[in-house]
Amino acid sequence: MTHDLRAKNLTLGYSDVDIVRDLDVVIPDGRITVIVGANACGKSTLLRGLARLLRPRSGQVILDGTSVHDLKSVEVAKVLGLLPQSPVAPDGITVGDLVGRGRYPHQGWFRQWSSEDDRAVAAALEATGTADLADRNIAELSGGQRQRVWVAMALAQDTDLLLLDEPTTFLDINHQVELLDLLTDLNRESGKTIVIVLHDLNLACRYADHIIAMKQGAILAEGPPIDVIDSAVVTEVFGLACEVVPDPVSGTPMIVPRGRHHAARETVSAAS
Amino acid sequence: MTAVVAGRRTRRRRAGTVTVALAVVAFALFVLTMMVGSFYVSAWDVITSAFHLRDEPSVDFIVRDLRLPTATAALAVGFALGVSGMLFQKLLGNPLASPDFVGISSGASLFAVSSIILLGAGSAMVSASALAGALVSAVLIYLLAWRDGISGYRFILIGIGLSEFMLSIIGYLVAHAELYEARQAMTWLVGTVGQAGSTELRTLLVALVVLVPVALLLQRPLRVLELGDDTANALGARVELSRLALIAVSIVLIGFATAVAGPVMFVALIAGPIAQRMVGHSGGGIIAAGLVGSIIVLGADLVAQHVVPVALPTGVITGIIGAPYLIWLLATVNREGRGG
Repeated sequence: MTHDLRAKNLTLGYSDVDIVRDLDVVIPDGRITVIVGANACGKSTLLRGLARLLRPRSGQVILDGTSVHDLKSVEVAKVLGLLPQSPVAPDGITVGDLVGRGRYPHQGWFRQWSSEDDRAVAAALEATGTADLADRNIAELSGGQRQRVWVAMALAQDTDLLLLDEPTTFLDINHQVELLDLLTDLNRESGKTIVIVLHDLNLACRYADHIIAMKQGAILAEGPPIDVIDSAVVTEVFGLACEVVPDPVSGTPMIVPRGRHHAARETVSAAS
Repeated sequence: MTAVVAGRRTRRRRAGTVTVALAVVAFALFVLTMMVGSFYVSAWDVITSAFHLRDEPSVDFIVRDLRLPTATAALAVGFALGVSGMLFQKLLGNPLASPDFVGISSGASLFAVSSIILLGAGSAMVSASALAGALVSAVLIYLLAWRDGISGYRFILIGIGLSEFMLSIIGYLVAHAELYEARQAMTWLVGTVGQAGSTELRTLLVALVVLVPVALLLQRPLRVLELGDDTANALGARVELSRLALIAVSIVLIGFATAVAGPVMFVALIAGPIAQRMVGHSGGGIIAAGLVGSIIVLGADLVAQHVVPVALPTGVITGIIGAPYLIWLLATVNREGRGG
């Protein structure tokens, strides 16, 4: 099913500081969108705003033509899922139980659990390769496994749009790639629209169909990474002098920072 | 798929079995406390008399008039404390977050002691003051801890701070009171199920009948609130409303329980984790926590009345059981780096 998620003149902030200012964005349906930017540029705030976790100061987030704040929370939660930056696993909880809690919006006061819920939980565990862990305690798992379990919980919610806030933060490079591959599978196989906030620019360029580069609460550039990311944009967004070369595996832009030392590299790259 | 179903069924079956077993133990202790004393009554006589199955004037006097009120108070107070503690701990995501630590009981105590010492109040007035104190301190903590929502950590720290503040006022009041009032205040402060008045007890029973089903309904949002506010919001839960309702249920329960028996320490702290360990972490366990609370208070009262050479208030025994648990908890919680 196609959906339309967009923000119009969106201003978001905490207490008395505006973090995102007067921003317009359209999330491409059925694609992977990655939001990048320096620390405190407002990328997580934008994601939380899109997931209606923050009430806009002004402007609105519109889902399928209606402002999300005019929709019932539970109805939005059937279409739009979010994996926050630091979700909390209660003490002693098992994987199966945790993933099952993702079914919340599909249940009611009287319809507590159905075979549809069992099916969704089993499918989510299967898709994330965590089916064997179902009876294990969350606390016993490695960081990579735990993150896949959280993704499984978000999948059990069974939404067409899935937003993830820095899902790779505590993972080593191998598990980062594994997780992003998993998200790509989900996008390709079931057509889920995925929006990810990421720190690693190279991975962002490789996995994004659409990249959004933010600076100081505004969008500086957006589009397919290969069209958008060059050294001028990276320097503007991160204040980092760098070279941008084609990724030898994917051909997408790859950022090589200059830094102040190891200048021998510079002559090599300048010569080539 | 079948593994998922099997796992869920196993978890539910375990919770069910343990809860039934706990209910049996609680009932056995309930009957036992009415059997022993200066005059022994058989289990059969206790049951037939307490449930009005047969009239036998000599037994009825001992069971219905002398022992039933205390036993019922122990059962109800324990249940209320257990449920209240469990809700708080789950809501604030911290095993230390029991209402007797975050200042609710201290608020009740301060109001009750003030009414004894400053107003020379009788037992009904003391109970009403305790209830008012629990509510006032809860509202105060909630308001002080509010900043774009409630975080568990801030709630606990502010609660502990407020609790210390109120305890020091209690200390001041008791130190400057006349001997008789000071003694009465100290007895109340230790907490005992024997001091229950029938009106307060009836109110507590009504509160349990109304609020325990509410707590069971609120278990559904509680299960996602446990995952953090962002996750709960993303799953479509009404976070602030559910949290407010859960806190309200918890506070009213502990307020009424304190009005009946005084601040019986540590029960709310230990009942939840014990129940949780027994039913498993997925089973919800609100009823189990209540039953564990009942078992602790009934057991403590049994020991306080009949095992030790001098009859003691219930709170002394729960304190003796609870304090080592608290030390163990602090030691292990800190070792796991979760801090309390």
